Amino acid sequence: MNRKTGSIELLEMDNSSFSKNLTLDGFRTESKANLLNKQETTIWGKTSPSKSYCSSSSTSTENVVSTLERKKTVASEPGASSRPDDPPLLPGEKVTGQARDVTYLCPYHGPARGTLTVTNYKLYFKSGDKDTPLVVEVPLGVVSRIEKVGGASSRGENAYGIEVFCKDMRNLRFAHKQENHSRRNVFEKLQTFAFPLSHKSKLFAFDYSETFPENGWVVYEPIAELKRMGVNNDMWKISKINEQYEICDSYPAVWAVPAQATDDELKIVANYRSRGRIPVLSWIHTESQATITRCSQPLVGVGGKRCKEDEHYVQLIMDANAQSHKMFIMDARPSANAIANKAKGGGYESEDAYQHAELVFLDIHNIHVMRESLRKLKELCYPNIDETKWLSGLESTYWLKHIKCILAGAVRIVDKVESHKTSVLVHCSDGWDRTAQLTALSMLMLDPYYRTIKGFEVLIEKEWVSFGHKFQQRIGHGDDHHSDADRSPIFLQFIDCVWQVTQQFPNAFEFNDYFLITILDHLYSCRFGTFLCNSERERVQEKLKEQTVSLWSYTNSNLDLYKNPLYWANVLQQRVLVPIASLRHIKLWKAYYCRWNPSMRTQDPVYQRIRELLKLKEQLEQKAEECRKEQQQRMQRSNVSPT
Amino acid sequence: MNDIREDNRFKSYIGETDLESVTLDGTQRTKFLEGETIVSEAQKVLLYAPLSDRKKYVVGVLTVTTFKLSFVCAEEVEFCGQQNNLLGINDVCLSSIDVIYQVSDRTKKKLSPGQNITGRIKDILVVCKNMKSFEFSFKMSDRDSGKNIVNALLHHAYPKRHTLLFAYDYKEPHINSILPKEVRLFQTRLDWEKELKRTKCQNWRVSHVNINYQISPLLIETIIVPQSVTDNIIKEAVEKFRSRGCPVWVWGTSKGAALVRMADLLPTVTDRTEENKLLEHIRKSHPEKRVPHIIDLSFPTPKDINVSYLKLRELCTPDNTRLFKSQDFKFYGLLDSTKWLFFVSVCLTKANEAAEHISILESTVVLQEGNGQDLNCISLIQKDWVVLGHPFANRLGHILCKEIDQSPLFLLFLDCVWQLLQQFPSAFQISETYLTTLWDSAHISVFDTFLFNCQHQRFMAEYGSSNGHPPLILRSVWDWREQFSERDIIQFCNPLYDDSYQAILKPHTGLSGLEIWTQCYFRWLPDLEIRKGGRPQIDLYSRYIVSEILQFQQGLGELNGKLNENKEECISLMKKVNSFYPFSYNSELGGNDPIDSVLLTGDTLDSQSILNFND
Repeated sequence: MNRKTGSIELLEMDNSSFSKNLTLDGFRTESKANLLNKQETTIWGKTSPSKSYCSSSSTSTENVVSTLERKKTVASEPGASSRPDDPPLLPGEKVTGQARDVTYLCPYHGPARGTLTVTNYKLYFKSGDKDTPLVVEVPLGVVSRIEKVGGASSRGENAYGIEVFCKDMRNLRFAHKQENHSRRNVFEKLQTFAFPLSHKSKLFAFDYSETFPENGWVVYEPIAELKRMGVNNDMWKISKINEQYEICDSYPAVWAVPAQATDDELKIVANYRSRGRIPVLSWIHTESQATITRCSQPLVGVGGKRCKEDEHYVQLIMDANAQSHKMFIMDARPSANAIANKAKGGGYESEDAYQHAELVFLDIHNIHVMRESLRKLKELCYPNIDETKWLSGLESTYWLKHIKCILAGAVRIVDKVESHKTSVLVHCSDGWDRTAQLTALSMLMLDPYYRTIKGFEVLIEKEWVSFGHKFQQRIGHGDDHHSDADRSPIFLQFIDCVWQVTQQFPNAFEFNDYFLITILDHLYSCRFGTFLCNSERERVQEKLKEQTVSLWSYTNSNLDLYKNPLYWANVLQQRVLVPIASLRHIKLWKAYYCRWNPSMRTQDPVYQRIRELLKLKEQLEQKAEECRKEQQQRMQRSNVSPT
Repeated sequence: MNDIREDNRFKSYIGETDLESVTLDGTQRTKFLEGETIVSEAQKVLLYAPLSDRKKYVVGVLTVTTFKLSFVCAEEVEFCGQQNNLLGINDVCLSSIDVIYQVSDRTKKKLSPGQNITGRIKDILVVCKNMKSFEFSFKMSDRDSGKNIVNALLHHAYPKRHTLLFAYDYKEPHINSILPKEVRLFQTRLDWEKELKRTKCQNWRVSHVNINYQISPLLIETIIVPQSVTDNIIKEAVEKFRSRGCPVWVWGTSKGAALVRMADLLPTVTDRTEENKLLEHIRKSHPEKRVPHIIDLSFPTPKDINVSYLKLRELCTPDNTRLFKSQDFKFYGLLDSTKWLFFVSVCLTKANEAAEHISILESTVVLQEGNGQDLNCISLIQKDWVVLGHPFANRLGHILCKEIDQSPLFLLFLDCVWQLLQQFPSAFQISETYLTTLWDSAHISVFDTFLFNCQHQRFMAEYGSSNGHPPLILRSVWDWREQFSERDIIQFCNPLYDDSYQAILKPHTGLSGLEIWTQCYFRWLPDLEIRKGGRPQIDLYSRYIVSEILQFQQGLGELNGKLNENKEECISLMKKVNSFYPFSYNSELGGNDPIDSVLLTGDTLDSQSILNFND
């Protein structure tokens, strides 16, 4: 077999959704599609028209437009008449309203007329074009704001309708015909199901009833994870003092704390730390015993209040690491903000009080600054890019600068822990935003386990979900207060930082960027329970594990989709990654932020090609193996035959 | 425990100023080429580590010869990257030197060519065309060393006459071309005749009107013109065009669409009849008599590009950490103000336009520009072997059909190709290392490829000319074995190349689709190198897979020697190489490298607010 035919055969391997974002050019896409059609039976992730936003275009470059659906789901009621305009439904999903003769004003391909359906999970538009219908699908969890455009007096085509603003970097406009009176119904249904919490009803995750072979809720077991790192040991113990969430209501039930610390001491320390978030273990270096611990700011106040027990407790953390007689306290904030917090009763550790600790400010800004930065970025990227202003525009959003600061902060933590074998205590104000970014990122750089798919899930469950990053508040699931000052793209920023590291170390991660985009899509979708609520305590109260499906059930049931073909862990396991936190390397993640624009070339043909080569190699290996067996058999036969 | 990385090439010396001299063994000493002579030499010169704020250095011997500036020291360096046969790690060809500064603690003074320095020189900064810079100190050397070295450089690095270039003195016999057969240099009549035949482009003919450069020294000898254009028409036409450049055919398709290059009319000619007449001939030569599509290449001008290049270089050659960090904070804004990517975008857009007209609309394209020899070339090459997806090796020679005399223009072209390589990683036989090496080689004065403005000059040089200078031995830069070992040449191949890739490339040419060419522009700044990460990891892994595949196929097909690199070597390289490989000088083996601190500490992070920083 020569290489050419080999590589054609390889095309069929791309039966997954990858084919959407990996097309190379018109010609190849076509031949691939043809090939796929012939073998459709086994293919479940094939690009179906219902998947792609603006799929009517013949454009060859398709982006990762949606990770929301992998397979055509069965319509909920088998006997129900399924008209061609009806959307495919998830188990537990039902149609709640439908309007015909609605025009979708696509910013890339112009207006398209069709049917708009609202379910309890999504908004679904399908144009009337027979051959290549244009399909737009948006989970209602993604919607942040819905507005009516135009009134009874509106003149002009498409002036009367609805505009939908989304959390995932896009806005949609639909025009209704006034005489149809369809707008009101659609608007009301959208309001009801996009913002169920504002309408005293439940999020879709509680209705969603799909089952998966894997159970994502068991991915993270706090005690197993601590044991993986060697806790309990002489220096660290597992404490269940917070089992009833009474010491700290935003912390998990299980903590690892210095073995010497008494329960009474923990309680006093909790009183001196904002919202009771005391220093507890995030990660421990299995060889050097240097640790990363996390907490909130101390309640120093204008009076410069001190707490003997807190000082002693920090000393215990330092002493738990025999390698170093010093430790670092990394305050994620700009020093000005930390000082300003004293006026509100907070503050930072004075080096006089914490004698062997060195305090460092990492200069990362607060949630409001980040929200504003993303708003500017959306303006720059959506719907169309002004190419002449691209670079200066990018600069003026500050988005990449913020990414740089977070990465630089994480690298500094890694440096202290790895090169200097010194323990690091990380906090910001409350210790659930910037602190989570920093601890999770530095752990990702220090420990290869977190670079596997399951390890990354554990990292998110642990540092983000269990330690009380307020997903509910930051995302505003099902809530119509779109301008709520608590909303902020902190988790998105973390995933962006992870992406930056994967770009600098292309073979160090088991997962690909499709995995990251999938996580972000379901951060908003409200289909899974993973990112609901603000804390472990709330999740237990809501019985999330019993009543909703975990995102990891979904991803772990189809791991191949998220695998990085370059990942070569067993041969080249590189323990510590040190990314370069320079804007000369940090790039805009176009495959995410610009993905709605069909002209943005966001596919990664490198991965595509490597997959082809790997497949070819595998085939050849098989062939060689077969040949060898055949030869062996022939030899045996000739040995057996007496003549 | 300290924060400063101990680079294994650079150490901090304390109290060694009484060092007598630098002792070097035979392998460490500067090597000379046949015909190369020493001009000046200085002992105990310090070479500072890049971005070390003069805190780290190595001590060695600095030599200026007729060919290069060479620094050698006694430090043992394990180096697994590209090694040039003509130049050592710390050598630079004189023709590659662009600016020499005299530096003191606070100031930086540019020294001008031909200037004669009389005072003492302590520190100098040498900035090269390929963005590498060296900072030397003579504070430990003899009193006049600095002055002598600088005067030697100022005299020899900027020769006034072409014949003073080292190429004319280089006596090494030429290892004549083991160039693959398919590489045609398009220097002979036959090449062009074959090309016309090969493309099956009809209604065009070969004209010998310019044999011996009779009618125009800037045109090539063998030109291809519309069938209906007689030699007399050409003779008349060249009078009217700038640089005597009448429209000539460069490439065509069997469908009859051709690519034609044409200069502007002379500014003194106000009547455009002559131009129109020729365009009419071109129209007639199209099988369907379609009106040719004219693409105006007057923007950006070579001057625009040069200004842009200088700004880009400034951004890529910060000489202290303070500048490096402040640039980093507003990097995208500064990059924007260089306009470099904007010009890349313009060139790609025009190349794309040409390709679209020829291949999709099947019409002839005329590229028109000033004197018809600057940007034309860029668009032409892109269209020709890049955009239309021809295997690289077959087409290299086209570069030679009209040399690019100004290096920024050549860099712009290479950057365009690099952008395409990023967007279509399996469409090219070449790697980014190849493009970067090409850029470096463009400044090595032993190769004739980039020395001449036109074929005529080369011709005159080769056979010796009226000024009685001995004839020049022509050696082509494409003859990579002159410079590199087989091991380095392997890195020029793109392991992701798919030889069945035939489609037309439709690149994203807007600024938002372009990126900064990290390997080429940042490789001299070790602080920017990603330890054990970056693109080389992908390349080496693909090389490994491809070598496995070839091993399986060995029994079935012929072995492709170039890619069948030892896979063990791939794996061992992957474990140690960094992101600028094979141009990396950071490669430390084993141990845990302390983390570099330049980007992590200091004023930027501890400043009050990054937002105030820019306001």
